[in-house]
Amino acid sequence: MSWHVPEEDLRAYARGELAAPALWSADAHLTSCARCRGALAEVSDPVELDAGWERLDAELDAPRTGVLESLLVRVGVAGHTARLLAAAPVLRRSWLGAVVAVLLLSVGASHAVRGGEFPTLFLALAPLLPLAGVALSYGPALDPTYEMAVVAPMHGFRLLMIRTVAVLGVVLGLNGLATLALPEYGLRALAWLLPALALTATGLALTPRLGPVLAPSLVGGAWVGLLVTADALRAGAEAPLAPFTPAGQGVAAAVAGLGAGLLYLLRDRFDLFQGRAA
Amino acid sequence: MTPTVSASGLSLRYGGTRALDDVSLRLTGGVTGLLGPNGAGKTTLLRVLATARPADRGAFTVLGHDPGTTRGRQEVRRRLGYLPQTPGLHPDFTAFEFVDYVAILKELTDRGARHREVRRVLDEVGLADVRGKRIRKLSGGMRQRVALAAALVGDPGFLVLDEPTVGLDPEQRMRFRELIARAGEGRTVLLSTHQTEDVAMLCHRVLVMAGGRLRFEGTPAELTARAAGRVWSSAERDPDAKAGWRTGTGTFRNVGDPPDGADLLEPTLEDGYLLTLDGAGAEVAA
Repeated sequence: MSWHVPEEDLRAYARGELAAPALWSADAHLTSCARCRGALAEVSDPVELDAGWERLDAELDAPRTGVLESLLVRVGVAGHTARLLAAAPVLRRSWLGAVVAVLLLSVGASHAVRGGEFPTLFLALAPLLPLAGVALSYGPALDPTYEMAVVAPMHGFRLLMIRTVAVLGVVLGLNGLATLALPEYGLRALAWLLPALALTATGLALTPRLGPVLAPSLVGGAWVGLLVTADALRAGAEAPLAPFTPAGQGVAAAVAGLGAGLLYLLRDRFDLFQGRAA
Repeated sequence: MTPTVSASGLSLRYGGTRALDDVSLRLTGGVTGLLGPNGAGKTTLLRVLATARPADRGAFTVLGHDPGTTRGRQEVRRRLGYLPQTPGLHPDFTAFEFVDYVAILKELTDRGARHREVRRVLDEVGLADVRGKRIRKLSGGMRQRVALAAALVGDPGFLVLDEPTVGLDPEQRMRFRELIARAGEGRTVLLSTHQTEDVAMLCHRVLVMAGGRLRFEGTPAELTARAAGRVWSSAERDPDAKAGWRTGTGTFRNVGDPPDGADLLEPTLEDGYLLTLDGAGAEVAA
């Protein structure tokens, strides 16, 4: 080993005064260098040395941050909030992989089967992804720590909103990237956005009444039913489905606003257990 | 002594089921056992007292706060430790990471102070050596201790444990009992269990529930005394007994109203519990 911690740094380390990044280098080096540990013992007050080892021990125990968590911290999210997000079931790689797969398939299908001015299959599927994502990030069926979280002092609605914003950020971002893969449709390929917000807000607003599984399932089912009905009623195969017309987009915006308002009014209901009684 | 928990007339219906029926109780320091068969309403009572679910009727206070108000509920939760019946643990987290996660939910946002607290509770449950191990690699007993450590974060004044010894082997169960006994020093613990041995070894008070109602509240000795003169031995199972089972010696131990001249036995807590359930109309296992 060619490099060793300078004596001056060791003295500062022993006093707890060594600042990062020299502190990180010293921490890492001391774990593997007996010579520097010996030198540290010589320059240290025994009490301060114990405190130093305790600090080192604590650093070794500290949770390792994953890619997502590190990214969140880098963009300014508080460390403890990033940790809560990292535990959201929906932010796991398998879920994100499934979202990407669905988007690739729908974008591919929209390229292969061009049947009008709108990429209908993509626009039908894209709003369901954030709805499913938010539903999967919260609730007794899918969050293993749900029951512990409900009785924790952190308000349930706050936890829900932290996760919802994270899920929406990720899924809407992926949807947005998929939209860029459909340049021939122009802004019409963005007609999924307002329905996505409407479905997500409505699903959450109905959760205190219907539960975290039934509410998003019904909302998702209603969306599919609406599209089937719109398909049956449209003027011709080339005509857009009603939800993707300007009028339909206006309705989606109104529903999103109403859903968000209702959700806010019901925020205290998320502070209580929503599973079955035992 | 001011009770940690004081409840009166708690009732809760779920569909057509009366999960809680006019339950009143007072809990003070130390470990109180909550016994009852499946479906007795134990978990529902624990969830209500842990502020997870509101009762339809009745009122209660925990550590002087009223969980019926938003502010009171928050105050209770700041002093509450809760170990649910099936604590969900993220299997890919290490023991340290999981307890750290729960500590964040308990509003410990300062990283240094939080990590010191996490180390303290993991030390307390004897998991200092495996705190960097992933939960999926820990044994069932160790996982249960991780969950207990999470419940102990923040040094709660009221600790609610829902059947924490279920599924543990005898050695793990004994070790867990030691932890619960230690946790009961200086705080109030409500321990739901199927095992009368848990109550006999740990509890200074015991509650018995059946059909959503509280059927007994007193000391383990008082529950045992309910069976005094009502336990007897016989060569064959006595058909008039409320319950009877063959013991290791080959004779039958019967519980109920003994016939004249019966060979009476010293009652146990389990005998008192069975007779209490029988009086409640609950099924008595024979």
